[in-house]
Amino acid sequence: MSVGKVGRLMVLVVMTAFVVSFSWNLSYADGKGIFASKNCGSCHQSEGPANEKTFEDQLKKKGPELWYAGSKFKKEWLVEWLEKPTTIRLLKYNSITEKNNEKHAVLSKKEAEEVAEYLLKLTAKEVPAGAVTEASTPQGKNLFVKRYGCVGCHAVKAGAQKAGGVSGPDLSEAGKRLKGDWVYAYLKEPKVFKPVKRMPVFVGIINDNEMKTIAGFVAGQK
Amino acid sequence: MIKKIFLVTIILIGAAAFVWKGTAFAATAEENYKFYCAQCHGLDGKGEGANAKPKAFGIDLPEMSVTPRNHTSSEDMSKLSDTDVQNAISDGGASVSKSSIMPPFGKTLTEAEIKDLTAYLRKLCKCKGK
Repeated sequence: MSVGKVGRLMVLVVMTAFVVSFSWNLSYADGKGIFASKNCGSCHQSEGPANEKTFEDQLKKKGPELWYAGSKFKKEWLVEWLEKPTTIRLLKYNSITEKNNEKHAVLSKKEAEEVAEYLLKLTAKEVPAGAVTEASTPQGKNLFVKRYGCVGCHAVKAGAQKAGGVSGPDLSEAGKRLKGDWVYAYLKEPKVFKPVKRMPVFVGIINDNEMKTIAGFVAGQK
Repeated sequence: MIKKIFLVTIILIGAAAFVWKGTAFAATAEENYKFYCAQCHGLDGKGEGANAKPKAFGIDLPEMSVTPRNHTSSEDMSKLSDTDVQNAISDGGASVSKSSIMPPFGKTLTEAEIKDLTAYLRKLCKCKGK
């Protein structure tokens, strides 16, 4: 191969890499742009860290934080949900008495893909990758339902039906939505993700192994 | 003199920190009750919160397997000592041989807040502990 040919090949490789990275960044930038233009930030916090300190800080929020969305959500679910949103919280966000009848904004397929691309880049370093095996084991069920009473606030599968409380998010299909590693991190580091919340702090009550088993059980609910 | 002022300042800061530690989110007992307890026990304390009776709130899910304590019942509440109530809040229902669906709040609320909540429950039931 002549020097000229190698040179041309190198230029081609560099240009291809540039175009690929540019279009990838464009998709991310588009997603961020859509998030801004649709005013998603009026309900969802997209930059960390968590800054709520009082009940009032939490109660004035209109929707869940997304600054760690990339550590929390599974991609396929996120794209689909943005296109066809369903009810995750049976009670209205921040309410313990009003049924959730709110309609979330609906995005087109292309918008959903781009917004998901952007959200999935918002990650938290406190979520350890690969810590949890996602499986609804009998041990996990026992801890979730009997030992720690999580089912008092969260609905999970009960045979073909579902059963449980309604003040926490519905977890009966949580495995489609949530990464097990995130559920574990949320249990382990509540101050990082949600310093003010109605769910009790379980640090120092549920041990590390049990937290992983519970997180696996939740992420196994599909 | 300067030493004295310094010492007094240190003591005051210490005292302020001690008082402040009494409330995790600087909330009153009633605010804590409405934020945490009311999820199951209801805003009015009758044990009919949304987790206990989803259908009453328009949600088609079965009732909770146990009935949360009715905090306005002087008959039920007077059977419990203040220590029983504090243990149930701090360590959960299982610690007082009740349902584990009542979770432990000992790492969520401070000891002072749990004492204040116990006093709030006594106001709801208009009763004293055994």
